[in-house]
Amino acid sequence: MRSKALLRGSNIDVFHGSFQALWDVSLSVNSGEIVAIIGANGSGKSTLLDTISGLIHPAKGSMEFEGKNISALEPFQIVDLGISLLPEGGRIFPDLTVLENLKIGSYNRKARPESTENLQRVYQLFPVLETKKPRLAKTLSGGEKQMLALGRSLMSNPKLVLLDEMSLGLAPLLVNDLYKTLQEIRTRGITILFVEQNVRRSLAEADRAYIMETGRIVLSGKVDDLREEEKVKKAYFGT
Amino acid sequence: MIGATVMLALFPMIGVPRVWLLYLFLFFIYLALANMWNLLAGYSGLISLCPAAFIGLAGYTMAILTWVGWPYYIGIILGGIVAAFFAALISVPVFRMKGIYFAIGTLVVPEILRYVFTLWAPVGKPVYGGGAGYMVKGVSEVSQAQIYWLAWAVGVASIFLMRYILRSKIGSGLAAIRDNDITAASAGVNVFKLKLYSFVISAFVTGLAGAIFYSLQGYIEPVSAFSVRWLIIIMLATVIGGEGTEEGPIMGTIIAVFLYFLLARYAEISLIIQGIILVAIMLLAPQGIMGFIRETRIYRSLVQ
Amino acid sequence: MSLLVDLATPIAMGILLGGLYSIIALGLSLVFGVVKEINIAHGDFVILGSYFGYVAMTVIGIDPILSLIIGIPLFFGIGFAIQKYLLNRAFRISMDATLIIAFGISIILQNTYQLVWTALSRGLTTSYALESFSVGPIHVPLVYLLDLIVAIVVMFFLREFLRRTYLGMAIRAAAQDWKAAQLMGISTNRVYAVTFGIGTALAAIAGVFLGLTFPFTPVSGMPFLIIALGVVVLGGLGSIAGTLVAGMAFGLAQTLGGYFFGVTAQMLVAYMMVLVVLTVIPRGIFR
Repeated sequence: MRSKALLRGSNIDVFHGSFQALWDVSLSVNSGEIVAIIGANGSGKSTLLDTISGLIHPAKGSMEFEGKNISALEPFQIVDLGISLLPEGGRIFPDLTVLENLKIGSYNRKARPESTENLQRVYQLFPVLETKKPRLAKTLSGGEKQMLALGRSLMSNPKLVLLDEMSLGLAPLLVNDLYKTLQEIRTRGITILFVEQNVRRSLAEADRAYIMETGRIVLSGKVDDLREEEKVKKAYFGT
Repeated sequence: MIGATVMLALFPMIGVPRVWLLYLFLFFIYLALANMWNLLAGYSGLISLCPAAFIGLAGYTMAILTWVGWPYYIGIILGGIVAAFFAALISVPVFRMKGIYFAIGTLVVPEILRYVFTLWAPVGKPVYGGGAGYMVKGVSEVSQAQIYWLAWAVGVASIFLMRYILRSKIGSGLAAIRDNDITAASAGVNVFKLKLYSFVISAFVTGLAGAIFYSLQGYIEPVSAFSVRWLIIIMLATVIGGEGTEEGPIMGTIIAVFLYFLLARYAEISLIIQGIILVAIMLLAPQGIMGFIRETRIYRSLVQ
Repeated sequence: MSLLVDLATPIAMGILLGGLYSIIALGLSLVFGVVKEINIAHGDFVILGSYFGYVAMTVIGIDPILSLIIGIPLFFGIGFAIQKYLLNRAFRISMDATLIIAFGISIILQNTYQLVWTALSRGLTTSYALESFSVGPIHVPLVYLLDLIVAIVVMFFLREFLRRTYLGMAIRAAAQDWKAAQLMGISTNRVYAVTFGIGTALAAIAGVFLGLTFPFTPVSGMPFLIIALGVVVLGGLGSIAGTLVAGMAFGLAQTLGGYFFGVTAQMLVAYMMVLVVLTVIPRGIFR
């Protein structure tokens, strides 16, 4: 069967030094989907995103994007191919202005020509960023910083956006807004893979989900199917 | 091992060629220096760029004391003590500097001392006009064999000293610090005290070796006493042999001093080559010879 | 009142000299701020710039400042290559490795100078290097003024480059968060190499003006490295203006130290100040 998956990871093993963080992890994300990776702290979900984006290289197994093997590529090359990671905590550049943060998002060659258009689109999604454009990023509130991080990750014209715990530490209303924005981003044809601890939220927003525990994928499937097993999950995560 | 050591001690008596003796003399001096540098860089996580400070300071102490009538061998011991004391003194500001700043701080110290000793002539009139160089009085009558034995003593002692320290509580504390300062501190290791001990002990032995060297040379002057050239051979010896290993400095010093001898005629080129070798080794074989050996199966099977 | 008049010249000279010190420190500071490595061979690169100017002047016959037209790109290339092929590799081994390698490079450079040009003291003795001018009671060598002017010009261009170009933004981003920078599609290896190249090019400029201001020998790199280190730490990482002010502080320390304690002691005063600065200035997390 021909794989039409946008992203496919097969039998990935990842080590941090001598400690094995990912065990035989396989996943796939199809174009246009929203997929969630759910797990508690230490389950390996951040490591998985780091591996996809090239910050870490798998010891075994392969990662393919649009059919191309990206396991050995450096992060900047992977951004060029169309994957954008919003890391945990956002990691905006504190001493650059809001505008500079956004502009640096379109650093890679392919995205630069469309930088102005992308900027307008980001302003549409997050008007507050336009109002605060000359301000240093470190002066923003927590929610605004996350919006900036999300906007910045869209500036590189990604086909696939990876979000690492986007809602961490944010007020629920804000989180609602952010996820609404995600749905809007999806309508623009961007595929989304996000990592979350909150089970209910994840199942509400995603089409499919993977559940991780101590570096392994223990459950996966369409969100509706997974909900049937929610009782098991409720016991596990107590959400 | 013990046999070889004893034999080396007997060399002066059995009429071994002078060149050999000179090589061995330098070997033992640099062995002590390399071991002490390894104690700091390889085991305590302190890259010290100031061994020359202790060498020069001890050398000057010894030389100046001979002008006041004290025999050179007393001067050597006092030189070591002065160096140790100085180390304790500067440890207060210098240890406040973390990581790279420590290296910078230690870079400045020999320079300052060089200045001080160029301007300051504590006894008599300096032999070299302007700069304060000193002849070492009373050494010309002393047999070279005596001084050779002192070098032998300090070189061998440094090996045993390293052995002892590394197997003691200090050693395990240092291992913890080398891996991670902060973790070690939270585990109850008194980081400052241990670093201080290593620094002071290292300074003491370094000073002894330096003073012994100047006893043989017979004169001392500020530019070469505090020069960075001490450091290059020390670094080369430790790195070639393998930082953070006990045997490393021994093997490294054999090679480094041999290299120095081989190229001594060609002054600048010799140093350029040493610099190139240092860079090459750090890039290609940073673990040094010992590190390389440890990776081989033969060693592993022996150790198991 | 008379003291003030007497002090006027050393104060003026100290401030102007600060210009030279700040250019010397600028390359060091940039590399330290972005790549987080202290290049202890920086002083020797500066002297390489001095010798480059010397060769331009004595062998080819062009004015050393003019020779920078070639010197700047040349030194940029050298620095770029060194970071790309030597130091980037050293990083992956350990922080200590970069220090030791920089030390090795320093030894190689110093002794190459000794080999080629001997230990004889050299100077870039152009016609204008020997001129001086007076403003009221102040009597100052012309080059000192040139040093300050060049420092300000160079800093201006550097600031504009960092602010207005994508590459400049990338360098600043990498300095703040190199992981996040990578996620923006920035190749940190390349940014580091470019930064080191700029640092070396700045060393070339500093070297030429140093040669115009003072005589130099193969081992002159060290004293200036030490002062530059003090300037970098005092001025604050990443602050161009801070480097300028700190440079002036050290310039003043030297000239005033010379005035009060005698010419031979002036470097000593500067060194002591470096030690004090290193001890007292609070540390941030290093990498």
